[in-house]
Order: sequence, then structure tokens, then C-alpha cells
Amino acid sequence: MEHGDPSLRSSSESAANRLVEVTCTVNGTARSLRVDPRATLLDTLRERLELTGTKKGCDRGQCGACTVHVDGRRVLSCLTMVATLDGREVTTIEGLAEGDRLHPVQRAFIDQDGFQCGFCTSGQIMSAVALLREGHASTDGEIREAMSGNICRCGAYPNIVEAVKQARS
Amino acid sequence: MRSVNREDGPVKVTGAARYAADHHPEGLAYGYLITSTVARGTILGMDTAPAERAPGVIAVYTPFNPLRLHPYTQADTAELLPPLQDDRVCYYGQVIGLVVAETFEQARDAAALVTTRYDAERPRASFTAGLPNATPPSGGTPETDVLAPGVTSIDEALAASDVSITETYTTPAETHVAMEPHATVASWTGDRLTVHTASQGVRLPVERLTESLGIDAAQIHVINPYVGGGFGNKWGTWAHTPLTAAAARALGRPVKTVLTREQVFTVIGHRPITSQTVSLGAAADGTLVAVKNDGISSKSAANDFYESVADLSLALYGSANLHVSRKVVTMDVPATTIMRAPAESNGSFALESAMDELADALGMDPLDLRLKNDTPSHPVSGLPWSSKHLEECYRVGAERFGWSRRSPRPGTVTDGDWLVGLGMATATFGASRGEASIEVRLRDDGRAVVSGAAADLGTGQSTVFAILAAEVLGIPVDRVTPVLGDSATPPAAKAGGSGSTSANGPAVRLAAEAAKEAVVKLAAEHEKSPFRGEAVTYADGEVRGGGDAMPFGELLALLGVPEVEVTATSPRHPRREHAFRSFGAHFCEVRVNRWTGEPRVARWLCVVDAGTIVNVKTARSQIAGGVVMGIGQALLEDLRIEPDTGRFGNATMADYLVPVNTDIPPIDVEFLNYPDTVLSDLGARGIGELSIVGAAGAVANAVHNATGRRVRDLPITLDKLL
Repeated sequence: MEHGDPSLRSSSESAANRLVEVTCTVNGTARSLRVDPRATLLDTLRERLELTGTKKGCDRGQCGACTVHVDGRRVLSCLTMVATLDGREVTTIEGLAEGDRLHPVQRAFIDQDGFQCGFCTSGQIMSAVALLREGHASTDGEIREAMSGNICRCGAYPNIVEAVKQARS
Repeated sequence: MRSVNREDGPVKVTGAARYAADHHPEGLAYGYLITSTVARGTILGMDTAPAERAPGVIAVYTPFNPLRLHPYTQADTAELLPPLQDDRVCYYGQVIGLVVAETFEQARDAAALVTTRYDAERPRASFTAGLPNATPPSGGTPETDVLAPGVTSIDEALAASDVSITETYTTPAETHVAMEPHATVASWTGDRLTVHTASQGVRLPVERLTESLGIDAAQIHVINPYVGGGFGNKWGTWAHTPLTAAAARALGRPVKTVLTREQVFTVIGHRPITSQTVSLGAAADGTLVAVKNDGISSKSAANDFYESVADLSLALYGSANLHVSRKVVTMDVPATTIMRAPAESNGSFALESAMDELADALGMDPLDLRLKNDTPSHPVSGLPWSSKHLEECYRVGAERFGWSRRSPRPGTVTDGDWLVGLGMATATFGASRGEASIEVRLRDDGRAVVSGAAADLGTGQSTVFAILAAEVLGIPVDRVTPVLGDSATPPAAKAGGSGSTSANGPAVRLAAEAAKEAVVKLAAEHEKSPFRGEAVTYADGEVRGGGDAMPFGELLALLGVPEVEVTATSPRHPRREHAFRSFGAHFCEVRVNRWTGEPRVARWLCVVDAGTIVNVKTARSQIAGGVVMGIGQALLEDLRIEPDTGRFGNATMADYLVPVNTDIPPIDVEFLNYPDTVLSDLGARGIGELSIVGAAGAVANAVHNATGRRVRDLPITLDKLL
């Protein structure tokens, strides 16, 4: 029997040597980057820009931990290639607070104990900020449904619903 | 009860908390694991040449070009053998190589270029097929019997019962799915190693690295204050950790290896598959006279852990005759390991389902049956419980939840298209108080630093440190800095067995008391002290004497003493005269769609008797979290092993279902808060595992009440209800 790991797919070596120039805004700061075309926004934030608040939970768009905003819309940064972000505006969890003043959603997650281990929390908060802006938080059921793309294995869900409601009011 | 916000809240909501993979030392290289694609066999060869030629690749390690690791010598819940030291494959997804490259993308792509030739053998990958050949566990006790005088066997006692039932209950493999994938960042400075790695106790990886790398513990510093969930799978130290440390040593530069989510499913262990055949016999009034449980657990060939799944049947309800047995089915699957309430969670599903089945047979309310068999002493040892208020849990819960509205006839309550049922079950988990050492430093800036090599996996343990130290020292909670997850600090209790607060809590209080004594002594004796020669006391953060008072920080500054440092050790409780357990009662409402069979949990109440609750805010969250995981166990979670290949068929977060927000109803938690003063002065037992125990049984019982269907094979999916 002979086989490689079927879960892995190699891109060509030539692609690995070619870098892509991207200029985008990250948390209000203009960044000019030369990036590997294979690089995701998630890995670039974490490994190049040292913005490690955005977490990698699955790297396949299944858990929501890596949620950030691109031009104000929530996106999964693990499924977003940096090469597609020229001229775009990225906001991460590090860009929400104004100095020491927490964003109301961050404040609400502390007040309502909307997390335990904290690993999914950046993604939960980025989703919550966006769905409040989009007006998708009018009922408990709507909040639960709209927040269901963000898995929390500690099971903080009821408190997350309470946090979204506190931030809404 | 105190209700305090998490001390680590601000860093967790701003992304500032640094977890293992968030570290980025200068000169970092990236490791990427290669894993096996057969479940059993021998590796004949690996072609690494294309990977070695790939851009950015620094090294490719395999069993044919290994990093030397010494055999593991100490018991762990992880694998028995270090990776890459031989050519054997014990399971699908085993680590068989490590690629190190300049960037993550380069390491990942190079790993995909490695091809492996195997002499594959057919794996033992079906639990069902293995059942007829289940064996008693090596080194374990195969059977335990407690029989009344004159009774010669459990079957005789069952035959003599007025009413009896016998059923078999099965549970699938499950896995932890902590949100943080395991990661290790290792850097060497000369012969000293610094490691950031997710662990339920930072001294655990120190032990494993000491033996596998052949260096002294004093050379190893593990720092990891933030852990993205554990649930048991960050207790063992898994293959990537010694491998990454060895690669960093060989290459002379720091290396970071982060498992992919798919790798977490196999490189890290899982909860075993279990089967329990339970017989309960009772007198006509509901008094249990015989409890029998034959438990069987899967066990990986790669390690020794299995669940003694029947054992809870020896501890929960009183009965004159008790019998459990333990067997294992050895399989060629990834390591079987501890997961939240190992054995007791699965054990309670069977026992609590069986109790309801017995109640049906007796024509009794299931709550009354449990009240009838509540026992003031441990059913096997006869030792009295240290503190038990289970009956109050039942009564408070029944009243608050509206248990009297439950229809005794299943399938008779409807709401539109939904069949509505109520269910309940007992929660319980063992309690102990281990040894723990804590250091307290009172500083000249008026702050106190409380340190110990404990872990906060999201439990709120660091906030417990701050609360208890602040209380003893008479200062605000925010003037205490807890330091956890640092192996250079004293050996506090690790996060496992629901034993953190029960052990560390008393130690924090002892150390804080000792710090007060030390600063009082300093005030009375230091030559520059304004209190010299006075009868000095300490209260509310101040040193007092001769009619004067001064905050300890001011005194230390005045004396030119930067800090006063003490370490105290709280001893292990010998548990000779009492038995110790936490208890609780679950109540839930489940709705089953009459057309689709879809089960939905609609409401939940858990009443908890776990001794003193130090911080009700985080404790409530932890109990609710256990219920959420129990709902997952009841309705969703099922790690599927392909019987022909030994491969996990659903090893992704989209395919291995865990609860999401919309699956979870409001969860009401009530604490009775009776201090267990036999266990410790603090009186706290432990709550990390308690609430998953009984949760799946409560759901199964509610599903039965809603539909009349008794599902004895988890998870309770809609196909089983159609």
C-alpha cells in the first residue's frame, strides 16, 4: 500500500515561491504585506502581524472561533485568503475597544459571564457585534440562531444570549 | 454567596490572553505532524525526498530519521510509547513524522509530499465484534460483590426480588473537542527548555519531558496560564510535545507545532465506547434489594485507560446486594482516555435510565423511587457521607421545576406538533482533597500575588484564588494577582478529578494566613518599624499596634522590604472515616416532534449539593456547561469508527456534532451551599464534573415520558424515535 495523507493537498512549488502584494487596513492601520498566496487571513493575523486574539479552532470554517470583520461584515478568517484583501478594511478583536474603554459587547460578556476558557470568545464577540449591527437580535430565539455558527464547548450559550441582550439595550 | 466577575475577563474579551499557540519566540520554525493512514501494521518506508527539497523545509523526522526520545516511565493518561521510535502503527492517525519549515504554509505543504508504504494488517476496529471476546482488565479488579448475610449470589437476590428489570445500555465513543487545538512552542537557551503547551497542570508536561528528553526537571520551565478548555484531554502529555521539544533542541531554534483539528481527533485520546447490562431488583415498596451491572469498555491497544463504567452502581443508591463487573474490548484505535466524569457519566446514563424503568415496573413516580433509596452511608464501605443533602436537592428541584405536573402516562402531553415529557436524574461525582502548596507574596505596592502550579481551564480557578486570598487578607479582590500555569511555582493541585478548589482553596487560605503572620512578625521586630516592640495584629489589610494602623504595603515600603513571601502546604485528606461525594438533581423538559422525531430540550434545572460555593457566578456557568455537554452526550455526540479501517469517520467539527447555541435552552442552577466541614475548613468539594453525570439519563427519561420510547443506545437521534 502506498499513499499520502488524503486530508492534505499540496499546492505547486512555484506558487510557494511567488509572493503577492497586498495593501489593506487592519484595525485602522494601513498595512502593506508581501504574502504567500496560500496564506489565510487567520494565519497572517496570528503569525505575521502578531494579532493572536483571533483564534484557530478548526481551520475549516466549522467552529467560528476565527470570526473577524472585513468591511464591517463578519467573515471566517480561516477561509479568507489575504491575497483577496487588497484595499479592504479588517477589524479584529484587538480593534474593538477604544483604549481602555471596552466595547459594550465586551463589557456585556464580562458582566454576564459569557465565556469560560475564553478561546471561542473573540469569535463570539465579533459575531455578536455584527448581528447587533445587522438587527438580528430582536428575540432570544433569533440570537440563539444567529450565534449558532460560533461553537462554545464550555457551554456558555445561555450567558452569551444574556450578554447579547445586555449589549442590545 | 459571593458573585464575582472573572479576574481574567478583561484579557479574554480583548484577545490579550496568550494561549500556547499565541507565542512567537524570535527565530521560530513551524512543525507540522504527519499521521498514519492505516490503523495497524508496519511502516515499510517513507519517501521524504520531495518534502526535503520543498521551499523552506528545515527537517523531516520519521521513524527512519527519528528524534531520539527515551521511553516513558511514569503513568499518564496518554500513550505508552513516545512517537517515531519504532515502525509500528497502532491506530489510524498516529504520529509518524514531523516536518519543520520556515513558515506554517511551507511545513503543511511539505508534509503532504511525504508518501508512506505500509504492511497493513486488519485492525480490531469493531466494539460489537469484540464483545464476545471481552477480557478482564489486566491489573484491574474484575468483579466486586457485596451480598447480604445468607445470600450466595447477586442472581439469587434478584430472583428473590418482588420486581426486577434487566436491560443493556450502550454509549458510543465521544471526544472532548476543547476549542483550543493542542499546541506546543518549545525554545532552548543552552540546556534550559521553555515550553508553552496547553495542559491541565503544568507539572505534567515537565514530568513527561524529563523522562523523554533525558534531562532534569530543573532544566524545564512550562508556562501556560491560559488553557482553551480541557475536559480531560489536556491531562495527558501527547506525542507532539516531546517531539517539538526534541526538534527545537536538534535544530537549535524554537519550534511551534499546532495540531490541526483533524489531528486533535486522533493524536489526542477519546472517551471509550461502553456497554452496561443492568439488573435492578426491588421490594414492592421500591426498596432496592439487588443492583447488578456488568460493564464493558473499549480500550486502545496504544494505552491502558478504560472506563470502569459500572462502578457508579456501587456508590449511588443503597442496596443490600450489589455486584459489578469490569471487562475491556481492546481495539486498534487512538488512545482511550479520561473525559469529563470518566466512567461516571456513562455509568449514570445506564443506572438512571434503569431506575426509571424500575419505577415504571413498580408503578412508582421515579422521584419517589430515588427518595426511597437515598442512603446516608456509602453502600459498599458503610462509611457515613461527610455531608449529603441529596433529598433536599430532589425536593427543592421538584417544587421549583413543577415536577407534580409530570404525567405518569407517557406520550399523553402534547403542545401542537410536539410531544412533551419531563425527566429527572441524580447527579453525583466523587470528592477528595489532595495535597496543595501555594505561595503568597505581599508586596510594597499593597498588592498580593498568589501563586501555584494549578490550571484554569475556564473553570474560574484563578478567580477563586483571588477571592479566597482577598478574604483572608482583608483587601479588595482586585488587589490580588493570581499566578497559575507556571511550573516554577509551588505544586498546587492540577485541574482534574474535580479536585482543584477542594485542595487549592484551603491551601490559598493557609498561605494567606501565614503571610499575615509573617508581616505581623516583621512589624513587631524590624528595627525601622514604627510598631517595634508593640503587640501587633493584622486586620483589613492593615498592621495594627500601639493605637496605630498602617496598610501592609505602606509598612513594607517604609521598611525598604519589597515583599514578604511565604509558602504553605495543605495536606491530603486521608478519607478514612467518611465517604465523600457531591450530589445534585437534574430536572428537564424535552419536546419531541411527532412527525419528524426531532428531540429538543426545552428547559433545565440542576440543584447542586457540592459544599461551599466560592464564586456563584463562575460555579453556575460551570454547572450549566456540564449540562450542555450532557445534552450533547444525550442527543448528538457519536464518534464513529469505521470497522474495516479503524478510521474515525467523522473527525471534523462539522461531522462530530456538539451542541450549538440554538440547541440549548435556559438552564437554571440552584446551589444548596452547605459547607462540607469534614473535608476542609473551606467546605468546598468540587463541581467540574458533577453536572454531566445524570444529564443524559434525565434526557432519556424525559424522552420516554414524552413518547413512550425507551432509547438505551446513545445518542438519542430522531431515527430512534420515528
